[in-house]
Amino acid sequence: MSPLFNLLKTSEKSLRLGRLTLIKNQEQKVLDTPNLLAYTSRGCVPHLTPDNLSSIPLIGAINVTLEHFIDVQPPPSTQFPYGIHKFLNFEEYLVFIDVRDPGNLNLMSNNTDKHVSVYTAHGVRQVTSDSYIKYMNIYKPDIFVSLVDNITDEAPSLKRIKRSVDRTLRWLDDAIYHVKEGAQVFGVLTGHKNQEERIRSAQETAKRNVAGFVLNGKCLGSTSRECVDILKPSINHLPPNKPRLVYGLGTPEDILLGVSEGIDLFDTSYVLKMTNAGNAFVFSLDIKNDLDSFNRQQQIISLWDINYQNDARPLLAGCQCYSCKNHTRAYVHHLLNTHEMLATVLLMSHNLFHYTKFFKDIRESINQDMFSLKVEQFFRVYSDGEKEQKNLSSIILN
Amino acid sequence: MRSALTLKVIARCSTTKARVGILTLPHGPVDTPVFMPVGTQGTLKGLTTKQLEELGCQIMLNNTYHLGLKPGQELIEELGGSHKFQNWNRNLLTDSGGFQMVSLLKLAKITEEGVEFQSPHDGSTMLLTPEHSMSLQNSIGADIIMQLDDVVSSLTTGPRVEEAMYRSIRWLDRCINAHKKPESQNLFAIIQGGLNMDLRTKCIEEMVKRDTPGYAIGGLSGGEEKDIFWRIVNFCTDKLPKNKPIYCMGVGYAEDLVVCSALGVDMYDCVFPTRTARFGNALTPKGSLNLKSTKFAQDFEPIEKGCNCLTCKTYTRAYIHMHATRETVGCHLITIHNVSYQLRLMNDIRKAIINDEFPSFVQKFFKELFGGKDKYPIWAVNALKSVNIELLS
Repeated sequence: MSPLFNLLKTSEKSLRLGRLTLIKNQEQKVLDTPNLLAYTSRGCVPHLTPDNLSSIPLIGAINVTLEHFIDVQPPPSTQFPYGIHKFLNFEEYLVFIDVRDPGNLNLMSNNTDKHVSVYTAHGVRQVTSDSYIKYMNIYKPDIFVSLVDNITDEAPSLKRIKRSVDRTLRWLDDAIYHVKEGAQVFGVLTGHKNQEERIRSAQETAKRNVAGFVLNGKCLGSTSRECVDILKPSINHLPPNKPRLVYGLGTPEDILLGVSEGIDLFDTSYVLKMTNAGNAFVFSLDIKNDLDSFNRQQQIISLWDINYQNDARPLLAGCQCYSCKNHTRAYVHHLLNTHEMLATVLLMSHNLFHYTKFFKDIRESINQDMFSLKVEQFFRVYSDGEKEQKNLSSIILN
Repeated sequence: MRSALTLKVIARCSTTKARVGILTLPHGPVDTPVFMPVGTQGTLKGLTTKQLEELGCQIMLNNTYHLGLKPGQELIEELGGSHKFQNWNRNLLTDSGGFQMVSLLKLAKITEEGVEFQSPHDGSTMLLTPEHSMSLQNSIGADIIMQLDDVVSSLTTGPRVEEAMYRSIRWLDRCINAHKKPESQNLFAIIQGGLNMDLRTKCIEEMVKRDTPGYAIGGLSGGEEKDIFWRIVNFCTDKLPKNKPIYCMGVGYAEDLVVCSALGVDMYDCVFPTRTARFGNALTPKGSLNLKSTKFAQDFEPIEKGCNCLTCKTYTRAYIHMHATRETVGCHLITIHNVSYQLRLMNDIRKAIINDEFPSFVQKFFKELFGGKDKYPIWAVNALKSVNIELLS
């Protein structure tokens, strides 16, 4: 059964509103896009026990990283007979597996025709295409990403770039050929910064029976804008009817930029970084009145700030998350200050809730043809520095 | 003195001194015997208050010393006290702060005035007096508060033990005088007197005269012989009034809870279940499992079959093995299970007493935990024999 990706709406140049539908064992899982795949560490959404995770109702998909599991091969969890959803208690969610950690793509080369190198808790390990597909056929995720030969050189030779594209395509063919029914394969687009190779990678991948595409701009370009510009030749040669996932775009501006370039799916490693740093999201795409838009506002607040020590307000007024309905900034500040683990539980609950809400607002704004307007307001209210603001907003709106 | 609690004993064991009560405190009822988990800094180690409620926890501890440092007395008062601060609408108990000073701070010195210690912030000399402890605990606002006592190690002998006992009585009087909220906070006296029965007797006589809402057995769990520990507990429960709750401080191992309940204790607290969870140890009726061990890597059973906690209903040992001591979620999951285990044990104890099946419950409990009778701790055998349970017969 093939996943169904319906484009519900395309408008304003590259904007896309989509719906990914997966039917498995008579159960239907739906993910409206643009959307996020919740980042996991060793198969759990960091800091959140399952009851706390389920208090964030808009999460529909989980991104599981294989390299967290494979310091020993085969991973012990492949002995579990009921698949990865049940093992990780993600039966309600669409489970998506990739070999590398989108939040920690350590530079690592040493790939050969036979294997890719990955970075586990106990050091570097190799994964072959055969073993990877074998694990996937045991785990039975909804979607997995085929192996990719990432280039880590700053300035690789054309020969190296071509080899990367060829290897990645070969591994994709392996995956599509050997995958058992039940899982869908996403192909990865490579080509480094070479336009022709990026186009070739996109066109060749698109010819194959993939369910979607992964673009990894994390190692390319120093700014998000540069990253997206490098990925653009790939994006331009993709068929419209399949979802596109980008790693490494995390800030609200990044997400808006990615959405405006036709990206459907994003990872949430940024949310974890902000949470671990003691920050709470307070940005919003839904800017209520003009007064708001003339006062430049904070996107995040740091709960380490001593000014919050007696602040009896919730992290964000009006927020419906567990943390905001039950706790104060003063308490979260105290928990950080005393190094108590509940600090990151409450911050993660809020930040992930808020991030899913942000995506929902994005989808609604596209649906109502308000995206450009909302983005313009967003940049006016939140962006640092006039130059950056002008730069980013003009690019999004041009 | 004035009391803001009632204790209704609803069942007594016909063999031992065990009893079941409903202790009604300002923030609701507490079924006794009760184990109280320790949320030192106004939070129970990564668990939300919702999770604690779902576990059936009716009362937890906060530590006065820690809250007095952070967020500090002024802030906790400004923020409406500890219940509101941590959004916990059930009962709280705070200690006096004295124990932490003696155990955590090397340079604590005890004078008649109070406990002198060096500030962990700037090294200046500070003084915790009975009045200051009451003021702090009144600001925190727990349902049960503890007197400042003169704590000596249970291994101490000689005149220092007697001095500490008499001083604890004098400090109790100062606490009673300084306590500003007897209508909403119950002050418990702490029985001192070391391992000496005469001193314990004297202390109980004097403190019972003060008629505090409850009594704690102090000065134990400090490394003394277990065979002496249980005798002191047994002696105190014999002498203390039957209409008031009796609290044995710092007790939390499963076998200790079972034995002390047989001896007539109503309340316990200990950091052990939550601390050991953070080291990857899960408590079960058959003993502790170290889930870090690779032997659990392919163990697809729950931590404890039949346990209905969130962790056991959801995850295998293999899953928790991946997270134990590496991810906060691993800590949270084991903490949830361990608190659930402790509270379920207390529930089983209460049920057995109510059904008057406590002696057979005790037999079964020891058999499951220790395996063979040759492995039963001798102190527990002796303690239970004193209340008519023959473990070895």
